[in-house]
Amino acid sequence: MIILSDDIKKQLIDLYENKGVRIEGNIIKLLDTTDDPVFEEYISKCISEDKERQKKRLDITKQVQTQNNELNNLNEENQRILEELQQSLKDLEDQRMTLEVQNRELNEWKLDNLRLTEELQNEMVNSEKSRIEAEEAKRHAENDLDFLQKRNQTELISIIVRVALWVIIGVGFITTGVYIFTLCMGKDTQVISAAWSNMFGILLTNAFSIIGTIMGIKYATKDHS
Amino acid sequence: MIESILLVDDEDLFHLVFEDACSLLDISLSLQSVKSSDEAAGMFKKWYENHENDQKPECVFVDLNMIGSSFDGIELVRKINFEYGNHVIIGIISSSNDSTEQAKALQAGAQFWLVKSDEIEPRLEEFRKDYEGYKKRTQPFKIYR
Repeated sequence: MIILSDDIKKQLIDLYENKGVRIEGNIIKLLDTTDDPVFEEYISKCISEDKERQKKRLDITKQVQTQNNELNNLNEENQRILEELQQSLKDLEDQRMTLEVQNRELNEWKLDNLRLTEELQNEMVNSEKSRIEAEEAKRHAENDLDFLQKRNQTELISIIVRVALWVIIGVGFITTGVYIFTLCMGKDTQVISAAWSNMFGILLTNAFSIIGTIMGIKYATKDHS
Repeated sequence: MIESILLVDDEDLFHLVFEDACSLLDISLSLQSVKSSDEAAGMFKKWYENHENDQKPECVFVDLNMIGSSFDGIELVRKINFEYGNHVIIGIISSSNDSTEQAKALQAGAQFWLVKSDEIEPRLEEFRKDYEGYKKRTQPFKIYR
């Protein structure tokens, strides 16, 4: 304990009474007040006022601490919300990136599809052209075949006609020669003349029949060629 | 009355609350506050290496979790008790009331666990009553809820 002189004690008490200035803090607890009721009262007042002031300060500090804790909690909540928002933004950004990639892929597919469609259309046009060309070629081939067949037919008919005409002409000449020989030899021509005329008539009829047939065939096949 | 107290807590406002509460309750004559376990460990290391046991506080209150410290309060208690020569009454002051942490603190050599809240004075009052037991090492580990 600290023992103060009576003079100092008096000065301290006067200072408190006249100007309200007092000693404070833990030093008060170390001052000896034995056998001095006046100084003891002064120290009691100092301690009492000190405690009152400390109590007030403690209450305020506690309030500030409570408010500080609330603010900290709010700050933590804000921080959490901010982090959530940042995470959401990040997720959105990721989704946007994914969508962009998908969109780019879709555009590429679209371009590929367009190109393929164009190619298909070209192929279809080419195919149609080829089909038309094939049909044209087929028609030409059919025409050529028809023409060939007709020509062969015509040639065959021509050969037949020629042979037939030569047969007719030959028979005519032979019959006529035989008839003339008979006439010149002075033989009986009754049978041969009848046979000649019959033969000649038949031959002429056949000849005209053949010519008519040929002309008919030619007429019938004229349009198709 | 406790001659000197060291408070290790990262919260500045709690330093003021604790100081005023101690002063109001006439618990201590002097109180020193530090903000990190590293700072407190540094002080104890220096006192231990320089054999300055008289410089050590009589009682140490250590917060459990301190922002800006490289180790927690329990580790600081362990270091003071087992590395820096002990000679102090030491315990945890925390808003946590986790029994696992309390068991760890006891294992590290803490003598008490004081739960921090708005009304700290009644707990400090009770602590003051038990203080002599802590001094004589007769008081078992106690939790002030």
